[in-house]
Amino acid sequence: MSDIRKWFMKSHDKGNGNAMLGKPASSDSGKPPPAKPQPDKPVHPVQENPARKKTSKYFAADKQKLKDEIEVEEVSTKRKSRKDTGQSLKTPPSKKMHTVEEEEDDDDDDFVLPTPKKSSDVTPSKKLKSGSGRGVPKKLEDVEESDDDDHKDAKSPPKSGGRGRGGRGACAAPAGGRGRGGGGRGGFMNFGERKDPPHKGEKEVPEGAPDCLAGLTFVISGTLDSLEREEAEDLIKRHGGRVTGSVSKKTNYLLCDEDIEGRKSAKAKELGTTFLTEDGLFDLVRSSIRTKTPVQEKSKSTEKAVPSLTKKTPQKVDPKSVSPQGLALGSRAALKKDQMTKPSSLTWTEKYRPKVPNDIIGNQSLVTQLHNWLAHWNEQFLDTGKKGKGKKQSDPSAKKAVLLSGSPGIGKTTSAKVVCKMLGFQAVEVNASDSRGKADSKISKGIGGSNANSIKELVSNESLSVNMDWSKHPKSVLIMDEVDGMSAGDRGGVADLIASIKISKIPIICICNDRYSQKLKSLVNYCLLLNFRKPTKQQMAKRLMQIAQAEGLQVKEIALEELADRVNGDIRMALNQLQYMSLSMSVINYDDVKQRLVSSAKDEDISPFTAVDKLFGFNGGKLRMDERIDLSMSDPDLVPLLIQENYMNYRPSAAGKDDNDIKRMSLIARAADSIADGDIINVQIRRYRQWQLSQASCLASCIIPAALLHGRRETLEPGERNFNRFGGWLGKNSTMGKNLRLLDDLHDHLLASRESNSGRESLRVDYMSLLLKRLTDPLRALPKDEAVAEVVELMNLYSISQEDFDTIAELSKFKGRPNPLDGIPPAVKSALTRSYNESSRSRMVRAADLITLPGVKKAPKKRIAAILEPSDDGLGEQNGDALAENEEENSSDMEDQEDAANGEKKLQLDLEGLNSKAIKVELDLKGNENSSAKKKPAGRGRGGAGAAAAKRGGSGSTPAAKRKR
Amino acid sequence: MLWVDKYRPKTLDQVIVHEDAAQNLKKLVSEQDCPHLLFYGPSGSGKKTLVMALLRQMFGSSSEKVKVENKTWKIDAGTRNIDIELTTLSSTHHVEMNPSDVGFQDRYVVQEIIKEMAKNRPIDTKGKKGFKVLVLNEVDKLSREAQHSLRRTMEKYSASCRLILCCNSSSKVTEAIRSRCLNIRINAPTEDQIVKVLEFIAKKEGLQLPAGFAARVAEKSNRSLRRAILSFETCRVQQYPFTINQVISPMDWEEYISEIVSDIMKEQSPKRLFQVRGKLYELLINCIPPEIILKRLLHELLRKLDAELKHEVCHWAAYYEHRMRLGQKAIFHLEAFIAKFMSIYKAFLIATFG
Repeated sequence: MSDIRKWFMKSHDKGNGNAMLGKPASSDSGKPPPAKPQPDKPVHPVQENPARKKTSKYFAADKQKLKDEIEVEEVSTKRKSRKDTGQSLKTPPSKKMHTVEEEEDDDDDDFVLPTPKKSSDVTPSKKLKSGSGRGVPKKLEDVEESDDDDHKDAKSPPKSGGRGRGGRGACAAPAGGRGRGGGGRGGFMNFGERKDPPHKGEKEVPEGAPDCLAGLTFVISGTLDSLEREEAEDLIKRHGGRVTGSVSKKTNYLLCDEDIEGRKSAKAKELGTTFLTEDGLFDLVRSSIRTKTPVQEKSKSTEKAVPSLTKKTPQKVDPKSVSPQGLALGSRAALKKDQMTKPSSLTWTEKYRPKVPNDIIGNQSLVTQLHNWLAHWNEQFLDTGKKGKGKKQSDPSAKKAVLLSGSPGIGKTTSAKVVCKMLGFQAVEVNASDSRGKADSKISKGIGGSNANSIKELVSNESLSVNMDWSKHPKSVLIMDEVDGMSAGDRGGVADLIASIKISKIPIICICNDRYSQKLKSLVNYCLLLNFRKPTKQQMAKRLMQIAQAEGLQVKEIALEELADRVNGDIRMALNQLQYMSLSMSVINYDDVKQRLVSSAKDEDISPFTAVDKLFGFNGGKLRMDERIDLSMSDPDLVPLLIQENYMNYRPSAAGKDDNDIKRMSLIARAADSIADGDIINVQIRRYRQWQLSQASCLASCIIPAALLHGRRETLEPGERNFNRFGGWLGKNSTMGKNLRLLDDLHDHLLASRESNSGRESLRVDYMSLLLKRLTDPLRALPKDEAVAEVVELMNLYSISQEDFDTIAELSKFKGRPNPLDGIPPAVKSALTRSYNESSRSRMVRAADLITLPGVKKAPKKRIAAILEPSDDGLGEQNGDALAENEEENSSDMEDQEDAANGEKKLQLDLEGLNSKAIKVELDLKGNENSSAKKKPAGRGRGGAGAAAAKRGGSGSTPAAKRKR
Repeated sequence: MLWVDKYRPKTLDQVIVHEDAAQNLKKLVSEQDCPHLLFYGPSGSGKKTLVMALLRQMFGSSSEKVKVENKTWKIDAGTRNIDIELTTLSSTHHVEMNPSDVGFQDRYVVQEIIKEMAKNRPIDTKGKKGFKVLVLNEVDKLSREAQHSLRRTMEKYSASCRLILCCNSSSKVTEAIRSRCLNIRINAPTEDQIVKVLEFIAKKEGLQLPAGFAARVAEKSNRSLRRAILSFETCRVQQYPFTINQVISPMDWEEYISEIVSDIMKEQSPKRLFQVRGKLYELLINCIPPEIILKRLLHELLRKLDAELKHEVCHWAAYYEHRMRLGQKAIFHLEAFIAKFMSIYKAFLIATFG
C-alpha cells in the first residue's frame, strides 16, 4: 500500500494524497491535546505526511490547523519554543534599535533562559513533560517509520523503479542514453567533451534510504561506467551525500571507474582516500535498504546528530534577538501564535534580518571597513572642520561617503543599517526608487544641513532641525539606497548627491547594485567603494540551517546547500523560498529543493547559449513546456538564430538506433521546416504587429527543433570546438546588406551612364559575368597600356568608378573558387588606377553622388546625377567625333545645344544663372520635346561656356578640370 | 559598349523579336492616348526595351533625356516618420522606379510618392500629351498592401497619369490591378528568334559565325535574349574566332549552384548540409536573389534526378519558394528545402539500393 500511496503522492496529486491520508488523523486531532498518549499507529500516516513534504497549502484552512495540531502533539515541542523566539524576534525592531549594546549583553543572559522558557511557554502541549526531551525520541521514531517505508519501497523496485526516488535518474538514463550509445567514441576528442559512459543507461540505478550516504563526501573523477556525471552527483546528493570538486582530507570516497591517473586520483592515493567504483556506490546505496539494521542505526545516528545540532543552534540564534521585553512579549505572542496560522507571521527575511554585524554572512572584512569608516567619520571630517584643517589634508584618500555595491539580496542595506545601529547613529534612509529625483536631492541637501531653506517636512524632523548644533544630538547618517535607480526621475540627481556629499556634515552611505552603471560614473570618485561579494553556499547554508531550526523546520544541510547554490547568492530569495516551502512541508529534502527551484531559477539571466544548451541537451526532452518557453524566450531574437545555426550539429536521441542516418536526416528536415515556419511567423509579428503570435513563433523556431533534435552535440568539421556557434545569420545578413548597397551604387552608376537600362537583379544575375570579363580579361591578356586603355574606356562608358570595379570583383568572388582578380599583375593594376584617376579629372560626375555646388552653402537635398542628354543617333559616331574632347564636354555640349534650340530666352536664363553663380545642374527642359542636335556647330561655341558651367557644377571640387580648359 | 545595350532597339520600328507587339503598341499610342499597361513575361524577353521604345514613340527623344535621382523621402506615417530612399529615373515625361526596392515599406512609396507624382500634371504649353507616365518595375514583388493602394491611385489620377507596370509573373499581381490595365504578354523569344538576333549582331560586328554556334548559344540561354547576347559577347571575349565546339561558359553563380547540387547528390548528411549552408550564404552575399537560387537548384536537380522523384522534388521546391516569399530570412527556407531533399533522396537511395 505504501508503494501506491507513495506513487500517488510523488506524482502531481500531493494535495489529494494528503487529504485522503489526513482524514483518519482528523478524528485524532479532533480530540484535544490529551490525545497525546494515543498510540502512534493511527497518527503516523499523517505524521509521515509532513515528513514527506505533503500537506498542500491549498488546503490551508483546516489542513493547516490539523497539521499544526499534529505538530503540537508530535513533531516537536521544540518547534513551539522556537516559534516563541521567533515571536520575540519579531518585536518591533525600532525598539531594539538603539539598544544594540544591551542586546549584546542579553546574549549571555539568554543562555540561561531557554529551558525554563520552553517548559513554561508551551502552553498548548503542556502535557508534555519536557518539550526538548520529547522532541528527540519522537523524531527517532519518525525516522524509523520512514526507513521502514523506504524499505518497503525498495522491495518492489522492479515495479516502481521508475517512479520512486531514484526514478528520475533512472528514466533519465535510458532516454538520454540511447542516442548516445551509438555515438562514435574515440576519434577526435574535443576539449571540454567527456567521453560517454560506456554502458550508459544499462544499469538500474538503485534507491536507498534517503540518508544512507549522509555525512560522506564524494569526489567524482573520470568517466563512470553507466552514469553521466550529473546523474551520479544527483544520486549522491539525493541520498544525503556531498559532492565536492577536489580531493581533500575530508573526502571519504573517490568515485571513479578506471584509474585514470589524473590529479584527483593521485591526490586521493596520497591522502589514502578510498576508491569507489560505480558499482560500489550502487551497492552502498542498495545495502542501505537490504540490511535494515545497520542503516537504521546509521540514520539514527545521523538524525541524532541533527537534533543535537539543532539544540545548540537555536541557543545561538535566539539570544541575539531576545530582548527583555521580547521575552515577556514572547510568551504572550506564543500563545497567540498557536491559534494563528503560520502565514500571518512576519516574513522571514525581516524576522531574521541580522541584528549585529557578526550575523551578516560573508563580506565580514567589508563590514569591518564600513564600521571603521563610520566610526572615524566624525573625527576625520567634523572635528577637523571645527578645529582647523589639519587632519583632513593629512589623509586625502578619505572619502566622505561610501558606496556599497553588489547584487541584490546579499545584505548591503542590512549591513549599513546594522553598522549604523551599532555605532549609535540614527539612520535616515532615503529610498531613491520610491521618492523620486528632485525631492530626493532636496532631502539630502536638507540633511546635509547646509541649506538654510530646507523644506518644511525636513524641518519638522527632530534630528534635522537641530543639525546645526551637532554635538548635542544623536548622530545621524544618511543612507541613500538604490542610487543607481535614482536619476530615473530627474536629471540632476547624482550631481546633487555629489554636491551634498561635498558639503555634508553627516556620513552618507550610498547603496547600489551596479557600480559600473553609467549614471554613477561621477559619483564613484567621491565615495569609498565597497564591493560586496556573494556569500559562499556553505556560509549561506549555515545561516539557513540556523533559521530553519529556529523555525522548527527539518532540513538537510545538503538541501540547504543546493538551495543556496540555486539562488545564486541571494540570501533574501533563499529565505523567501524556504519560508514558502515551510508552508507546505516541515521536512525538506534535497529533492524538494531541487524540484522547487527548477521553476524559480528562471529569474536569473540565462545567456542564449545556455538556453540553447539546455534545450538541446540530453535532458532537453524532459523539460516542461513552460520551461522550454522560458528558455527560448530568454532572448526571443537571438535564441532562434543560435538554434538555426546549430541544430544540425546534434545527434538526436529521438532517432534511436539509426543506420545510415535516415531518421536523423528526416528529423533535421522537419526541424528546418519548423525553423522556416518560425521565420514566417516572425514576419507576421514584425510586419503586422501580431505580437500575440510570439508564443507560436518561439514554438516553431525553438521548441520544435529542439524537441526533435535534442541529443549529443557533434562537430561537423574537424578542428571545430564542440560548442554552439554564434548565429551566422546576423553577420551574413549585414554583409549581404552592404553588398546590396554596393550593387545599388553600381546600378545607379550604370543607369546614370544611360547606356544600360536593366534592373538591379538582372545586372547581378546576367551582366556581372560579362562585365567582369570585359574588365579583367584584357588586363591579363593584352599588353599593359592597351589593356588599361580598353578597360578605362569601358569604365568611362558605363561610368563605372574604381569602387564599382571592386564591387564587381567582390560580388563575383565565391569561397573555394579563384579570386576573379587573380592573375592580374600588380603593375597593371596600378597603371589602371593611375590612368583612371587621370581621366577622372576631366570626367563629368555622372554618378548619383552628392555634389556640393560652389556658392550654395547647403548641399541640395537631392542627390542628383548630372543630366544626361539624349543621344538619339549613332552613339559610336559621336564618340568618335568627340575623341579630341573629353567625354563630358560632349554631354554638356549637347545640353547646350538643346538650350540653344530652345531659344534665346532659355539661354539668357542660363547665362544669368551662370553669372549669379547659381550653377545649374538640372536643366529643367520643360516642354522641349523637339530638342535635337541639328545645331551642332552653332551649339559648340556656346557649348564651351555651358560645359564650363556644367563642370563647375558637376565637378566643382576639381578645379583642375577648369584650368585645363 | 556591351552588345546588349548597343543593339537594343530604340524605337518600335527597330524591334526584331516582338514585331507584332511593337506594331500594336505603335497603333495604340498613335491616337495619343493610352490606357494603363501591364507588361509581363519572363526576364530577358524584352519588356523593358518595349517600354522604352514605347515612351520614345509617345514623347519623342526627350523621353530619353533622363536623370537619375536618388532621393530621400520623408513620409509621415501617423505615429512615426519614415525615411525612404529611392532611386528614380526620370525625364520630363516619365518617371521610372522600382518601388519594391524599399522592401516592406513599399506601401508608403505607393501611397505617398507615386500619388504625389501622379497628382502633378505636367505643364504643357501646347496642350498636348497632358499626362505623365509612371513606369513601375517588378510590380509582382510589391506587397499586397502596396498593390491595394496602387489600384486607387490608378483610378483617381488616371486623367494626369498613366502607369506602365512591368513584372515577370502576372499571377503575383492582384486581380484588381490586372483588370485596370491592358495586359500585354511578352513571350520569351524562341530559339530561332534568338539565333536571328545573334546573327544580326554578328553581321553588324563583322564576326565570323560558325554554323550552329549561334544555335548553341541560344539553347544555353534558356530563351532569354539578354542572356543570349551577353553570353555571346562573353564567348567573343574569351575566344575569337569562334569554333563550333567552343565552350559556352555558364555564369559564375550558375557554376556555383551546380557545385552545390553535385554536393548534395553525392552525400546526404548533416555535415554536407552544413557545408551547403555555407555555400548558399556565399550566393546570397553575392546578391543572387534567393528565388533565382532556388529555381536554379531545382533546375539542376531535375537534370540529375530519377524520374520517380522529380514530381516530389518539384512540389517541395514550389512549397518552399512560396514560403520564402512569406518569410524574410531566405536562407532558412533554402536550407529547409535542401534538408528536405536530402532526407527524401537518402530514403530513396536506401530503399532502392539498400
